[in-house]
Amino acid sequence: MSILINRDTKVICQGITGTQATFHVRRSLDYGTQVVAGVTPGKGGETHLGLPVFNTVKEAKKATGANASVMYVPAPYVKSAIKEAIDAKLDLTVCIADGVPIKDMLEIKEMLRHSKTKLIGPNTPGIITPGQARMGIFPENIHQAGNIGIVSRSSTLTYEAVLETNRAGMGQSTVIGLGDDMLIGIDFIDAIERFNKDDETKAIVMIGQSGGTFEEAAARYYKEQSIKKPMIAFVAGNAIPFGHKMGYAGDIITNGYVSVQDKKDALSDAGVIVVDKINDIHKELQKLS
Amino acid sequence: MNIHEYQAKKILSQYGIQIPRGGIAYTPTEAKRVAGRTSLRGPWVLKAQIQSGARNEGYFLEKKAGNKGGIRLSKTRRDILKQSEQMLGSTLVTVQTGPKGKLVSRIYVEAFEKVESIFYAGIAIDRINAALTLLVASVKKEDITQMAVNNPEQILKITLDLQGEVSPAQVNQVMDYLKLKPRSAKHLETFINGLHKAFIDYDATMIEINPAGVKRSGEIVALDAKISFDDNALYRHRDIKRLQDDYENSERELQAAKYKFTYSEFDGSIGCIVNGDGIALAAMDLLRSKNVGTACFLNVKGGVDKDKIASGIKIIMTNPRVEGILINILGGFLRCNLIADGIISAASEVGLNVPLVVRFEGTNKDEAKEILQKSNLPIIIAETMEEAVDKLIAAVEESD
Repeated sequence: MSILINRDTKVICQGITGTQATFHVRRSLDYGTQVVAGVTPGKGGETHLGLPVFNTVKEAKKATGANASVMYVPAPYVKSAIKEAIDAKLDLTVCIADGVPIKDMLEIKEMLRHSKTKLIGPNTPGIITPGQARMGIFPENIHQAGNIGIVSRSSTLTYEAVLETNRAGMGQSTVIGLGDDMLIGIDFIDAIERFNKDDETKAIVMIGQSGGTFEEAAARYYKEQSIKKPMIAFVAGNAIPFGHKMGYAGDIITNGYVSVQDKKDALSDAGVIVVDKINDIHKELQKLS
Repeated sequence: MNIHEYQAKKILSQYGIQIPRGGIAYTPTEAKRVAGRTSLRGPWVLKAQIQSGARNEGYFLEKKAGNKGGIRLSKTRRDILKQSEQMLGSTLVTVQTGPKGKLVSRIYVEAFEKVESIFYAGIAIDRINAALTLLVASVKKEDITQMAVNNPEQILKITLDLQGEVSPAQVNQVMDYLKLKPRSAKHLETFINGLHKAFIDYDATMIEINPAGVKRSGEIVALDAKISFDDNALYRHRDIKRLQDDYENSERELQAAKYKFTYSEFDGSIGCIVNGDGIALAAMDLLRSKNVGTACFLNVKGGVDKDKIASGIKIIMTNPRVEGILINILGGFLRCNLIADGIISAASEVGLNVPLVVRFEGTNKDEAKEILQKSNLPIIIAETMEEAVDKLIAAVEESD
């Protein structure tokens, strides 16, 4: 088992003919991911990386039975690409691009509310189930199949967390980068809920960071649902001495300024194991077994 | 991206929001002239244009600027000359600027507006619910800074639709909350709809009117205005991009922005080069846990070429605060060998005078290490982030 993707996931790549897409889709194919088709408007009928290219996601889905997509399209086109994935009723779409305008994301979130499609990202390294499937840009060589579920808001710290599970000799069930934009698709709660139901996942590693209240929400969920699986959390950003800012609106939305320490305290109170240094995660993991 | 108060007011006035008569001045004589245009007899309000809140409670670093803050009331035109002389060219420090403060290069001169009451209004993005939220607070006794921290529940929060106008029920909700007289109703509706429409049209991330004033006639006037824009949407708003005030950013920040990197400065001694905000934060946390401060960090993000990387590294190497450099790259999108090439090219151009520790992980990391080892530069290589931080601290102490 694993969450969200596995060896049976059939993946469409949106924007497949671009340079980054070509580089990473090839690697995903080599990894064993079932990438079954590509989509680039205007290039339908061509073949790329040995895969059929379609003009639309709907056509690609109809021809191949795909249930997920990963997109490497530039930020200005993300909104229409995600809309296509939603309209095609895919289960999952992963958006790598950074720099997606917030207003576009507000509209995307509105569309997602009325659909069955789950979005990972934007501004994410993607999702990987080691040994089975890779969607995104993860350096696949650092991953090992195992029993730890990883969910992270920070792209680069996701890799750090992966290395920590390796150091503990445990490996990963599935690794998800949520993306560190202001607005994102699925959040910690979604991931924790799925990891909790997944038999193969024995423990969860969660990486948060300063800004927003995603960690508080996760803490509340963990406590309210009385989740039994152990969860280890690291929250980055404690040392930020002073953030230049304008106005107070951000603090009001979150009911007062939320510090990293507040997030850590909320997680601790909920029964989550909180580490101060990311490189201490492996020690806590070893204590679990 | 942020803009100045006078620029924000101009935008909002195009949406039917009332603003006091005013004009911008770069010199004291200009300030006096502008004052004459805005009101015959005064009084006038002189407002230092820096991109920060709490300017009135701020203070100037220079003695010549006197003891008052960045917002001053003037009753005579002679006094306008004197006060603007004091503020222009001086550095204003507020709770939002940090201790270095910001240089005041222009003053907004406004006709003083007599109002019966004031309130706070803003629109911001609720991240958890992915929605626009209107914020309104009655700020008679307590200022919004205190309220946001101590009594945030007293602030009225209303979720706004992404499309369309504010509903009459929502306007009534604000009317009741602020206990406004009926004659303000249509003005309030125009005011809120103006904020809402401006927010959407311009891809704003925050609009704040602190405060808005209610006149005896029931009219509502924006006495202050702040707008922040989404940097990622500026490509749709060339007119806004032109308003970028380079004085608000340091030279190194601007250089970094040219390469689409982000760069932030702090008051420690270590320069960090990373490829993600999370890793930057984690590195800073780790340094601080060992009582070492960060001087700056440069986030080179992903998908860049060697020359851009070299230019980025030069920005760090030329920061005089930097006593040691930590390069921590976890390659996914970004290939480590590109960073290695960039380091060597930057070092050969500006020289490497401080210890440099590199930690690579991910895509092409072995190739990257080999490139550095072959270069014969005094570069220290580490395997983990903690090891990198420890080795750097030791090397910096040794070189002292």
